[in-house]
This record gives sequence, structure tokens and C-alpha cells, in this order.
Amino acid sequence: MAEFEPVIVAFVCNWCTFTAADLAGTSRLLHPPNVRLIRVMCSGMVDPKYVLKAFLEGADGVLIGGCWPGDCHYINGNLKARRRVALLKEILRRFGFEEDRLWLRWIAASEGNVFAETIKEMVEKIKALGPSQVRQKLVA
Amino acid sequence: MGERIGVYICHCGTNIAGKVRVSEVRDYVATLKDVVVARDYLFMCSDPGQELIEKDIPEHRLTRVVVASCSPRMHEITFRGAVKRGGLNPFRSFHMVCIREHCSWVTQDEDEATAKAKDLIRAAVNRVRFHKPLETVEYPVNPNVLIVGGGIAGMQAALDVAKAGYKAYLVERQPTIGGHMLQFDKTFPTLDCASCIGTPKMVSVAQSPNIELLTYSEVEEVSGFIGNYRVRVRKKARYVKPECTGCGECSNVCPIARPNEWDERLGQRKAIYRSFPQAVPVTFVIEKKDRGPCVQACPAGTNVQGYVALIGQGKNQEALRLIMEKLPLPGTLGRICPAPCEKVCRRGDLDEPLAIRELKRYAADQVDWENLPVPAIEPKKQRVAIVGSGPAGLSAAYFLALEGYRVTIFEALPVAGGMLRVGIPDYRLPPEVLEREIGYLRRLGVEIKLDSPIGAGHTLDDLFEEGYQAVYLATGAHRSAKLGIPGEETTGVIPATSFLKEVNLGSRPQIGPEVVVIGGGNVAVDAARSAMRLGASSVSILYRRTRAEMPAYPEEIEAAIEEGVRLEFLVAPVEVIAQDGKVKGLRCVRMELGEPDATGRRRPVPIPGSEFQVKADTVISAIGQVPDTRFLEGIKGLQVSGRGTVVVDPVTYETTKKGVFAGGDLVTGPATAVEAVAAGREAAISIHRYLRGLDLREGRPSKPSGQNWSEVSPEIPRRPRAKAITLPPDKRKDFSEVNLGLPREDASAEAQRCVSCGVCSECMECVSVCKAKAIDHKMEDEVVELEVGSIIVATGYDLMDPTPMTQFGYGKYPNVFTSLEFERLNNATGPTGGKILMRDQNGAFTRPPESVAILHCIGSRDVNYHEYCSRVCCMYALKFAHLIKDKLGHETQVYNFYIDLRCFGKGYEEFLKRVQDEGVMMIRGKAARVTDEALDDSEKGKLIVVAEDTLLGKLLRVPVDMVILCAAMEKRKDAEQVARTFGISIGRDGFFLEEHPKLEPVSTATSGVFIAGACQGPKDIPDTVAQAKAAASEALALSSYGRVSVSPTIAEIDPYICVGCQVCRGLCAYSAIEFDETRNVSVVNEAVCKGCGSCAAHCPSGAAKVKHFTDKQLFAEIDGLLERLRFGEAA
Repeated sequence: MAEFEPVIVAFVCNWCTFTAADLAGTSRLLHPPNVRLIRVMCSGMVDPKYVLKAFLEGADGVLIGGCWPGDCHYINGNLKARRRVALLKEILRRFGFEEDRLWLRWIAASEGNVFAETIKEMVEKIKALGPSQVRQKLVA
Repeated sequence: MGERIGVYICHCGTNIAGKVRVSEVRDYVATLKDVVVARDYLFMCSDPGQELIEKDIPEHRLTRVVVASCSPRMHEITFRGAVKRGGLNPFRSFHMVCIREHCSWVTQDEDEATAKAKDLIRAAVNRVRFHKPLETVEYPVNPNVLIVGGGIAGMQAALDVAKAGYKAYLVERQPTIGGHMLQFDKTFPTLDCASCIGTPKMVSVAQSPNIELLTYSEVEEVSGFIGNYRVRVRKKARYVKPECTGCGECSNVCPIARPNEWDERLGQRKAIYRSFPQAVPVTFVIEKKDRGPCVQACPAGTNVQGYVALIGQGKNQEALRLIMEKLPLPGTLGRICPAPCEKVCRRGDLDEPLAIRELKRYAADQVDWENLPVPAIEPKKQRVAIVGSGPAGLSAAYFLALEGYRVTIFEALPVAGGMLRVGIPDYRLPPEVLEREIGYLRRLGVEIKLDSPIGAGHTLDDLFEEGYQAVYLATGAHRSAKLGIPGEETTGVIPATSFLKEVNLGSRPQIGPEVVVIGGGNVAVDAARSAMRLGASSVSILYRRTRAEMPAYPEEIEAAIEEGVRLEFLVAPVEVIAQDGKVKGLRCVRMELGEPDATGRRRPVPIPGSEFQVKADTVISAIGQVPDTRFLEGIKGLQVSGRGTVVVDPVTYETTKKGVFAGGDLVTGPATAVEAVAAGREAAISIHRYLRGLDLREGRPSKPSGQNWSEVSPEIPRRPRAKAITLPPDKRKDFSEVNLGLPREDASAEAQRCVSCGVCSECMECVSVCKAKAIDHKMEDEVVELEVGSIIVATGYDLMDPTPMTQFGYGKYPNVFTSLEFERLNNATGPTGGKILMRDQNGAFTRPPESVAILHCIGSRDVNYHEYCSRVCCMYALKFAHLIKDKLGHETQVYNFYIDLRCFGKGYEEFLKRVQDEGVMMIRGKAARVTDEALDDSEKGKLIVVAEDTLLGKLLRVPVDMVILCAAMEKRKDAEQVARTFGISIGRDGFFLEEHPKLEPVSTATSGVFIAGACQGPKDIPDTVAQAKAAASEALALSSYGRVSVSPTIAEIDPYICVGCQVCRGLCAYSAIEFDETRNVSVVNEAVCKGCGSCAAHCPSGAAKVKHFTDKQLFAEIDGLLERLRFGEAA
């Protein structure tokens, strides 16, 4: 059987992490292809149901990328994201998902290298966790 | 109706196609539901590429379009235009996928990249079918432009904006505009003088009616969006008003010297300064930090740093004037103050605290009190009575007299001064000193009535009847506390206060040969030392704790021991032993220290069975004093506490009786003289306000605070604290003064040890010499709000500090300079007036060098520091070489140690040729190190540059007199913070990142924010000016077009779903959601909403959504991305 390749959905803020991903691209910072970006205007826009939807559709991990606290393009949307993620982790655990499948990271527009490193790290961690319970059912 | 979707995949040359198998992706996409056209093209963004889309729309009756190419941040707008031209709504019918930055450029494997591209496009096709039509909104553009940074880039941009007829705000952090360019002497390769071409720009900026200059100011916050920015700017307090004519008299008299930043700290400037004579604006500025810890610690609030600075300059009378603004008895306090200021003195971090008390005394003893000028006082009619002439009473009298009130002090004793006079022995405070200072009060108009007790015969109420309109009670604490042991009433047991009073009044009380003093405070020590002087053969002090807990001043205890007083610790008296009605001895008990009590000192506990006897002919009890309030008996409305003190308001010092104020020991119980003086001043302020009918509380209490102090440089040479001259112990037989003060030659040197914590000392010398009355020490920071349409950031660079590269000896050898320091040595306004001179070990400039080495690439092109090339060093190094030859003569040897010479600009190569022809030595090889370790006589006293000449393949040792390090240009230290404020990205080199390295050289990640000059990367003056003009042109394009399109992707709330819970309103950071009471729903204010989606993500009923980011659209995108998992690769 081929090595497990996790699929990660990333909801990324247009002003920071999405731009950081662009910068990682222009700087040709190679990273694993397992991540699919969904561009949002702010991490505070990420409705918990988007995260749940991604998990239910078989994503092995979800990343939310926002601006550093204090740097939010919309004043404090990132802080709202932080609170939601705290609650989401609680819910995920109850539904049998390891809470480490959901990551919230602050990645500034200038941090292309941080973006690439985060993806590498996350893919490795999720690989270690193995396929999500939904993914296992889908494959079976 | 079925959707008809067209998908367009860009090769981007080989950028995408080199990794993603485009044709395979195209064929795959063609199989997706509703996709009727799938094409790939070499450059989709090109004209033919866009035309492809425009033509297909009508031809294939497309309803939606997906473009897969670069990042939408790059070309989303381009393709929206194409879709619009094809006849479709650019939001409803278009979605863009990034398969370059997020896919082909970052993926190693071709298969993986191709698979990822398929996933991304499938998601987009899924999503686009749910898009809704939206129209972009246009907003007007505020034509004003903010320019941040007043260097050559900022000045040029401001001038260009102003020339176009728009308003430019130029914000500069420094007190002057000009920037680094104005620090330079000449500019390469034309050798025009930087001042000659720079100062006219500065003047033009200042004179332009369209430019508003905000120097010494910093941008704190930026909000809004392109065309409509609101900017908050803090104008730091300059303490000098624009009326300043720039005459510089203030700087001449300022006592505080600081390193001059403009001269790269090679020289010094004053606390009130101007960067250089041609500064714009010409207005001086005062560097002021929080008041020093000494000032904050002084109960009386004396401006310690100020008077110390003046004493340092020998201005003793001015120092005294400053002291006496807060403290009327300087010579007295200069002798007996506990000096809390010295305990917090930050010089102590370095070596020892300043001898502040001795300095105060020194100043007071230097002036001629008889002829000390009396300030002009405007007399007032009201009369104030003061009861008691101790420090509190005298202080209140002094400040009231200065206000012009007619003050009478009623003193019960035959002498004035209270405890100062009768409590402190003459050998510590000679009566002449007190008398001369009280004499000055008399000259101010204060009347002192001696032998005039207030009490039964002459009551407090009588004073009001006699015409006094306010009374200040300050009778002190003169009653000795009782020992509370049997036999206390025996003859020979004397309370210390009575004993000291008798001594001080000149009578010589009878004491036996064996004297025992009980207590551990200053009074006990005073009594003991006085007893010694009266001829006692043995004097001992019994104290129930240990020496560490003794409240007496350490120097007093020391002096007592020197004079033969014995100290017995951990001993308490139990009973006085009498014989024939006279004291014979004391029965005592040994103590040990137990748990700490309320004062934090460990409580002494008797050791059972440890009793013993001490022989004594006289016992002096000095265990504390209490106020005597018997004189207030029968006075109505005046409250006295259970502790026997008068009750007052802690801020205003009002008693419970109208018009009566109180302070000093009478209120606090025994405390220090300086606290009493402080209380007297506060009472004077209250009485003044009371008599004028003003609010007694307004602005009180006011104490300076804060800890933003100047740094104490560890490089300051250590110097011990000056010591006062004292009478040798064998000469201390009478009551003449023991401490003789600081010797004249030590006093100003001691004052100069001050580290000037507050920088400006507020000595007010500048105020007294400023004819324009431009100085305002009370000035405060001002915050202004600006409204602008665009922002140009031109914040420049920092020169790298080469200290960490120890091999070059910077900071170790005085004649290793940085390039910027060398510019200042060359500059006519610099520390040497433009002469190239060497420094001696103390930093003083001496003689011109005979040989100079210029070391290129220090910190640039160095993987350990900065990989990049600083671009300007080769050229200015050549300029330096020329200037050295030019100024010092051809015989001066100049060596350039270079890696490569980069002379790429117009006239640059020609300049190199010229400098080479002048005989400058060019050595190809980076210097390895600089050392002063000579190997032979020719190297003695020289700096030896060790390098490999890579052309000869030989190791060289070149002895020179001076070394110049061409240090790297690097990003400003606070570049990250500035980047955050303005929403600019930062590149890997730390400099601000332009939007595109070739095509958008001045735009940034935030629309309407542009960058120019060295903040974007190292560059020379011509490039900086060119970039500044480019940035100005971008800003002006916005100003002149006057409109800007803003994305319509804002929130909306469906009124049919909204239940009116209003949770969204609390979440909205912009207060953009209003509540419609009649319909009971929340409503988005479209003009205010920014589209962040905080409301949408939280709305419990799902009524709030952000246009273009709806649940349906996002769900479809997620489905598309993950479809492969559900249906396998074939999907």
C-alpha cells in the first residue's frame, strides 16, 4: 500500500497567510503538495461549520491562517478565530477527531518561509496521526 | 437553465507548464460537469489570452469562467476586466485559481503538481456556479498625501506632491528633516556638496505652502483604506515653541551634555539642541525624559538633578535659587536631611551614589546670604498666623511670604527653628546656619514673635479675632515618650528632648560621669554625643535591636563610635535602680530578635533569666517623641486623633476647623525635617487657594513618576564619591561643627558625576536667557489626526553597527571609524569642523592621519551578516579616498581593501579611474582583521590591516593610522513595527517589499501605500530620488483621478432569517451593524462595513453572510477540493 498522503484544507486570510503563500511561491520555497488553500478575507470569517464540513468530507487536517494578534487587517477578527478554534477543538474531540488535526497559525504576509515550514510540519504531524476516521471510512 | 462554464489554464511560459502537465489538466477539466470549453494558453494574461476569453463567452454562450494561472492578488482584476468585456458580471461569472505560487513553484514532483492543479480547478468550477452578481463600488479619493520620513526621498516626494497642487504632510521622527544625506559631506561621483544640494530642498519643503511639516513626530496608527486613510500622528513635545529664532543662547547655558547623534556620537551636544545649524525647522528641541529618581524620591520635590547640574558648572547661586523653589532651608537640610535621593541615585549602579546632600550644603554655604536677592513680591493684604517656627512652620511662612501674604510666626521658645534649633546639637547644625536662613525669611517680610506661646493665655480663636485670616499649626513633637518602667521619675533620668533643648539653649545640664542613653534613633545618638562633649567619662547607648535595625543615620553612629560612645545591642531596660533618690544604675534584660513586626523589623523578645545590671549616674531616654496638643484644649471643632496628632486632610492639610491648617510632626508624629518642609509648602498652597477662594484639591497631589530615564553607559569611567572634610575625633571636645563640607575643588567634580537620568535637568537656565520666550518646559505631546488618500513610506536605513565583528576593532581602537562617522569628520558642521583628525584614547581629536585604510563590504556580502551588497560602499569608499588625498595632501597613503568594485552608475567607472590616477592603492581582498599588535618597529603605534591580496596571492600586513569600515546599510531597527502600522510586507533581507520586483517597484501589499528610498533596499541618492518621484507619481495618480474602486464583498443580513438577537452588533469591530427596531432585525451599514465576516461566521441563525464568501460558495469549494477522496482518482 502506498504511503498515506494526508489532505489538508487551509482557510487562509487574504492579507497575511494567503500572501505569505504567494511569497513562498515567488521565493520557490518547496513544500509538500498536500495542502489546498481556500482564500477568505479574514480568519475571523471562518465559520466553524466550514471546518466541520472539511473534516466530514474527509480532510485529514484543517489549517486556519491569520494575522498576528494586533496586526489583523480588520482590527480583531483573528482573535475571534482564536476563540472559535478553542471551542472547535473541544467539539472535535467529542466527535472522535484528534484535536491536533485543527491548527491555527499566525503567519504574516512577509513570512513566506514560515508558511512553507508550517505546511511541512503539519503534513508530518498529520501523517503521524494517520488518516482521519472519515477518510478511513471513505477509502474502505 | 444549465450552466455553461469555460476554464482557461495558463502556462505562464514554463512557470506553470514546467511542472504542471497543462494539457492533461485541460483534458481532465473538460470532463467536469457543465464545462463546455477548456483551453490552455502560453500567457493567459496577455492580450491574445484575454481575447480568448472575451470571444468564447458569446461564441459558446458561457455563463461562468474559471482562470487557473498565477495568484489572484496578481491578475484577478485583469481577468475580471476580460469577463466584463465579454459581457458577464465579473463577480457572478468569474473565479480565479492559483496554480503557480501555490502549486507549480512550490512542488517538486510533476505528478503531484498536476494532481494538485486538478483539485484546485475542480473546486473553482464547483464554486463559481454559486457566485452572485456584484457591482464594484467607487469611493472618492482624498487627494492629500502623507509622506513618512524626511530624508531626501521623503523631501523629494513631498515637493513633487506639492508641485502638483496637492497637500503633502511630511512626518519626520527626528527634530530636523534632511536624513542621512545631510550628514554626508560630498556626494559621489560628482563631488557636489551634500549640504549645497540638500539644504535648498529642506528650505523648499519648509517654505512650500502645500507642505505641512511635522517634525519630531511619529505615526502611531493608520486606519481606513486606499483613498481614505485616517492617520494618527504623535507630535512629541519639543519644549521649544516655533517662536524660537535659533540663536542658540539656550544651548550655551545648558549644563547637560549628551552624545550628539547627528555627529554619530563623535561629539557632544546639550540637552537643548539643534541637530546642525542648517536644521529645518530651525527650532531647538529639549531632550527630556521622566524626572530622575532623586527628584521623585525627595519629599519636598526638590529639583535635585537641576541644582546638581548647576553646581557642576560652578553656578552656585543659580543652584540655590533652584533649591529654594521647593526648599527654604538649604544649608540646614544640606546638613541633616536623611537624603532619600541618594538611596535611589542611579550613579550607584555604576560606582557610588552622588553626595547630593553635601552638594546642597555646598551651594548654600557658597552664597552671601546677607545679599541674596529677594524676589519681587506683590504684597497682599491678608494676614496668616503660623504657630511654631520649626521646619514646617518656616516652610509655610516662606512660601506664603513669596505669595505676598503678611505672615507672623508665633514661637513659644526664646529662639526660632523648633527642633532644628533645640533638638539637633550645634555640632551637627550650627545655629548660625539656621539663623542666616531664617534671616532670609525675615527679609521676605516674615515676622517671628519669640516667647509667644499659643495656648490658654492666647488662644487659637484669639488669632482670628486679631485679624489673621488663616492659621497654620506646626508645633512639632517635643514631648519625650515615657520609658514605662519603675523608677522612671528618679532624679537623673532625663528625657532626651529636654536634655538636648537645654544643651542647645546654652546651659550645661548636670550629668554624672556614667551616662546611659536608651534608644536607637538620631535623638539617642545626638544625646550620647552631646553627653560626651559635656564631659561624661563613659557614654553608652542601649538599644533593644541590632545595629542593622537602628534608625539613626549610619554616619552618625560611626561618628559616635569614633568619639568613644559605646553601643550595646539587644538590651532593654527593666527598672531604674535608685539610691538616695538618685539614679544608681539600670536593671536590663537581654533580647533576641523574633518575628518581623508591622514596620518590617524583627521584634525584640526578652530572653528569660538574662537580667543584669548597668551602672549609671544619668539615664537619658530617647525612645521617641509625641506631639503636645495641650495648647489646643478647649478649641471647638478641631479634631485630635487618639495618637495625640491633629487630624488633617492628607492632600490639603486642612484641619476640621475652618481656616486652620496643620502639618509637620504635629500631624505625623516624629518624622524628618524634609517631610515637614514639604508639608509646609503644601499647606502654603492650600492657604493661598483658601484665601483666594480657589479649589483646594485641583491637580493635587502631583508627584512626578515614570522610569523612562537615560541609559547609564557602562563606559563612564568609575570615580568614587567625594568625601566631606570632618573634624578629627580628638578635636571634637566642644560643640563646633564636625562636618566641614566638601572642599571647593571636589564639589563641581562630584556634581559632574551625575548621570542626568532625566536628561534635561529643568534648571531653567535656558528659560532665563531666551529672549524670544520660546521655551515651555510644560509642553506635552500632541496627537493629531490626518486624513489622506495615499501614503508614501520613506523611512530610510540604519548603518550596521560593526561592534560585534570584533576582528575589525571597532569600539576598541579609537581610530577605527564607520563610514558615517567619517562623513561627519569630513563635514564642516561636524565635530572637527571638517578636518580629518585622529583620536587619542580619550576620544579627543589630535592630528591628521598619515595613512588610511578603507575596508569594503563590512557586513555586506557576508553570509554571517547580510548576503546582499549594500551597493553604495564602493563608490563612497572611492569618494573618501579622493577627499583624504584632497584634504591631507598627496603624501597621505590611502588603501582600499575590496572584494569587487561595483561602479555601475552614470559617471561611476570614470570616477574610479580618476581616483586610481590620484594614486590611491587598490588591494583586491577583504581585510581579515585590524590589530595593534606590532611585529616590528614600522608597525609600532599603528593599526595593522591584515588581508590577502588575492591578485598577488600574498598575505599583507598594512600599517595605517586610521581605518574606515564601510559598514552595511541595513533595515531600520523598527522596520517590522513600521511595516505592521502601514501594512507593508518585509523581504528576507529585512527591507520593505515592493509589490513586484520589476513592475511595481514602489507599490506594496496595501493599496495606496507606497515605498521609496533605502527603506526598500540599499540604494544611492540618484536611485532614491528616482524612486521617490515614482512613488509621488503613484500617489498623484490617485489624487488626480479622484476615485477608487472598492470591492463589493461586504456583509449583508437577510431580514427574513434574522431573529434580531444582535450578537453580530457586539462582534462588529467597525460598528457597521445597526438595529432596525420596527422590523426587529439587524442591518448592515454598507458604507461602513469592511467585509471581514466576523458577523457571518457567528450568526446563530445564518442570516448574516459576506457577499462572495457565502456558505454555499465555500461548501462548494470544499466539496470540490475533497471530491477525489469520496469518488477516487477517477472523479
